[in-house]
Amino acid sequence: MAGKTVRRSLLVWWAGGLFLGLVQIFAIGLKKPLGVSTQFVVLDTIAIKQVASEYVESHPVISKSKYQKLGYGFWLDVGIVAGAFLAAVLSGRFKIRFSSCWWEAKYGNAIGRRMLAGFFGGFLILLGSRIGHGCTSGQFMSGWAQLSLSAIPFTVALFGFGMLTAYLVYRGSKPEIEK
Amino acid sequence: METNILGFFIGGLFGAGLFLAGLADPDKIVGTLRLKDLHAMKTIAVFIIAGMAGVWFLEAAGVVHLGVKPAHIVSGLVGGAVLGIGFGITGYCPGTGLACAAAGRIDALVTVLGMFVGALAYILIYPYVLEPLDAIGNYGKVTLMDVTGIGRGVFVLVIVLSVTGILWFSSRKKPA
Repeated sequence: MAGKTVRRSLLVWWAGGLFLGLVQIFAIGLKKPLGVSTQFVVLDTIAIKQVASEYVESHPVISKSKYQKLGYGFWLDVGIVAGAFLAAVLSGRFKIRFSSCWWEAKYGNAIGRRMLAGFFGGFLILLGSRIGHGCTSGQFMSGWAQLSLSAIPFTVALFGFGMLTAYLVYRGSKPEIEK
Repeated sequence: METNILGFFIGGLFGAGLFLAGLADPDKIVGTLRLKDLHAMKTIAVFIIAGMAGVWFLEAAGVVHLGVKPAHIVSGLVGGAVLGIGFGITGYCPGTGLACAAAGRIDALVTVLGMFVGALAYILIYPYVLEPLDAIGNYGKVTLMDVTGIGRGVFVLVIVLSVTGILWFSSRKKPA
C-alpha cells in the first residue's frame, strides 16, 4: 500500500543546519548548551511531590532543587512547542496527522499500532535519555559542540541501535520521497 | 524571571528551527536511519560543526557558558541504546517529539505522553539500577582536549574541514 509522499523540508540542509547551529551558539553564549529531556523528570517530580514529598526528599536525584522548580530549562521546552507551532502555522504546514509516511507505507492505516508503538517508543526515548545523562540535544548535539568525551559512547550506541531498530521496523517500506 | 524569558526565546528559535530544518519530521529521521534520505544527516552534521566552531569563537571571546557532562561510559552506552531503539521506532526524540506534537502530529503527542512515563520509570529505578551503573567507567566532566592534551582549535579545524569537505563532495555530483 503506497503511503503519502515525504515532503521536502522547508530549509535546505545547510541552511537548516546553520540556523540550528546559530541557536546553539546563542544558547552557549548567553546561558548554557541546549538540552530538553531533564524537564520531563522535573514535571514528574513536581507531581510526585504533591502525593509523596518524603520520597522526593530521600531520592538521590530528584531531591536536588533543580528538579523541583520550573526555570530556564522548562521555559525552553515551552518555547520549543510555541516556536514549532508558529513555524508550522505560518508556513502552512500545520496538519493534524496520526502517522508517518514511512509507517503507512509498511503498515497501512494501522493507526492504533502507530499509537501503541509511539507510546512505547516515547517511554524508551526518555528513559534512555536520562540513563545516558542527556538526549539527542543535550548529549549528542551539545556534547559534540563542546567536544565532551561523554558524547562518544552515547553517539555510537544511539545511531547503532537507531539504525538497527529502523531496519527492523521499516524494512521493505518504500515511501515516495520528494527531492 | 529574565532567565525564564531567555529560555522561552531560545526555545522558540530552537523549535522553529527544528521544524523548518526538517528534523521535526519522523519521515526525515527514519529516512536517514535507513540511509535512504540523507537530508536529516546532513542537516545534523552542519548543526554540530557550526556549534563546535561557535564554541571555539565564544571561548576565545571569553563569553562561553559550557556544560560538559560527566563521561559515564557504561551509562552512556546503555542510555544511547535505549534512546536509539525509541528513536528508531518513532522517528522522534525529546525535542522533536515536542515540536512535532505542536505541528499537529497526534502520534507525537502520544510519544510525549510515553516520555513522561519513561521519566517516571527513570526516577523509580535510579537508586537500584542506575546509580550503580553510573559508578562504572566514570571519567568525570572531561573533554577530548583533557584526554589528549591537544587544543580545541586543532579538533575544531580538523572536524569542521573534513565534515565540510565530505558534505561538499557528496552534494556536488547530483545536479538536481
